[in-house]
Amino acid sequence: MPFEPKEPQKEIKYEETRIYTDAELNSYTDEELKNFRIKHAIPALEELESGPWPSFVADAKQEALHRRKLADNRMLIERDVVEDMLGQLQDSFDDGETHWKHGGIVGVFGYGGGVIGRYSDQPEKYPSIAHFHTIRVNQPASKFYNTDFLRTICDLWEYRGSGLMNLHGSTGDLVLLGTTTEQLEPIFFELTHVLGQDIGGSGSNLRTPSCCIGKARCEFACYDTQDLCYELTKYYQDELHRPAFPYKFKIKFDGCPNGCVASIARSDMSFIGTWRDNIRIDQKAVKAYLSGDVEPNGGAHQGRDWGKFDIQKEVLELCPTRCMSLVDNELRIDNQECTRCMHCINVMPMAIKPGKDNGVSILLGSKAPILAGAQMATLIVPFMKAEPPYDNIKDFIEKVWEFWMEEGKNRERLGELMQRTGLPKFLATIGLPPAPQMVKTPRENPYILWQEKDVPGGWNRDINAYRSRHKR
Amino acid sequence: MDELKKIIVEFAETNKKTKFYFKDIEKAVQKVNSDAKMRDIKKACTALINEGTLIYFSTGSSTMYGLKGRGITEDPIT
Repeated sequence: MPFEPKEPQKEIKYEETRIYTDAELNSYTDEELKNFRIKHAIPALEELESGPWPSFVADAKQEALHRRKLADNRMLIERDVVEDMLGQLQDSFDDGETHWKHGGIVGVFGYGGGVIGRYSDQPEKYPSIAHFHTIRVNQPASKFYNTDFLRTICDLWEYRGSGLMNLHGSTGDLVLLGTTTEQLEPIFFELTHVLGQDIGGSGSNLRTPSCCIGKARCEFACYDTQDLCYELTKYYQDELHRPAFPYKFKIKFDGCPNGCVASIARSDMSFIGTWRDNIRIDQKAVKAYLSGDVEPNGGAHQGRDWGKFDIQKEVLELCPTRCMSLVDNELRIDNQECTRCMHCINVMPMAIKPGKDNGVSILLGSKAPILAGAQMATLIVPFMKAEPPYDNIKDFIEKVWEFWMEEGKNRERLGELMQRTGLPKFLATIGLPPAPQMVKTPRENPYILWQEKDVPGGWNRDINAYRSRHKR
Repeated sequence: MDELKKIIVEFAETNKKTKFYFKDIEKAVQKVNSDAKMRDIKKACTALINEGTLIYFSTGSSTMYGLKGRGITEDPIT
């Protein structure tokens, strides 16, 4: 079914929005770039260019040369920002510490996030980056753009900012690096009123929700990640722009357990697509893989002779729970034992597909190591349906927020709070029964904490009656 | 709403700190008015921000509120 937007979409045409001419955009030759030196010596940074991977230093130099070629009235902040940024980075390498100060009162009117104040602590040496604020732009679901949009953003940022951008930040936003305070409101106006975009989350806000490509291009997606991501972004606008949380809160959506946005490790609330019926097996296609008619892994490992596809070695023996077997060339799966590792599905996508009764698993509490150490998420809801209008998911989110906002300390992430209070109290608060899926090794670890009211007779017992049955 | 706004401004004017986490504001308001709900306090804060009485102060990773004119309330460079 072709994509139908829920609301009228503004079509951006670069020919109408462009700021720069083709001549201005293609203003230098390869020879000029080769001979170009920025005004600061940056030996340590140039070392980075010698590695096997493309370097941001090479990109930044291109931008620095490009800005040198632009006329004075064709950019609204200093020409030298890129060169000064590189110069200061070299100083940071030399000194082993950053020269950026961060934080402040900069922002756009009414918004508590999306703009992050950045200041140089060496403004005399690098005057053009004395203030060099970051703007986060809310990315579209799955980060699908057309070139008209990207060119328009690039022109806008060249004109009103440094021209440096980061696609994408860990949160998912487009990160526009470096502008001055007086440019913030005009950029916000252009983004919202002209381009129909919004800025993203920062600070103690809901951060911009982020999703994988989902059903747009992936047959494994167990729910419509883009729709859920968009719906929650719209529904929780107040949480995204007006901070009242104890700290940051990230929500990410993976369509299947392959986890292409790594929500399990990078978000306070991770949605991972799953199924609760049986994996679908097409035995005819299994035979096609066995006979070599179909390439395993979608042909991803072509080009070298890996030998004939060996289902025993490459699939059955790699199943973490050993729940698969091949009997008379017929593949069998003990579905109860499947842990959704996705390996067999990835190797034989034509033969094995996720079940049809789909939904999400919800995991909570992962984080990077800013305060306490890095933490992976804990599975809290093994299965929940994910269908519009997603009221069940919204109810769950709000219960979790209520607990975190009530009990969380300032600058305490959800995962840290869960660790501090313990899983039993957390589950009791949000009203979920403990389940073995919440524990990594449920056969070894206790996951049920008995309450006194659950035990006949409570904690009191007649010690003499006990001793009459159990001698010392 | 007006009563909540008044309590918030009084707290922001008199506290020895000049920037506050939302939780600090919530606690201060609930000390005076124990029935005040978190959502209503947030709405009052937003209204004060929109009026220009309060300002946001963001480090990039966390956000605080401050009273305009008290402590650092202007961009230091401009």
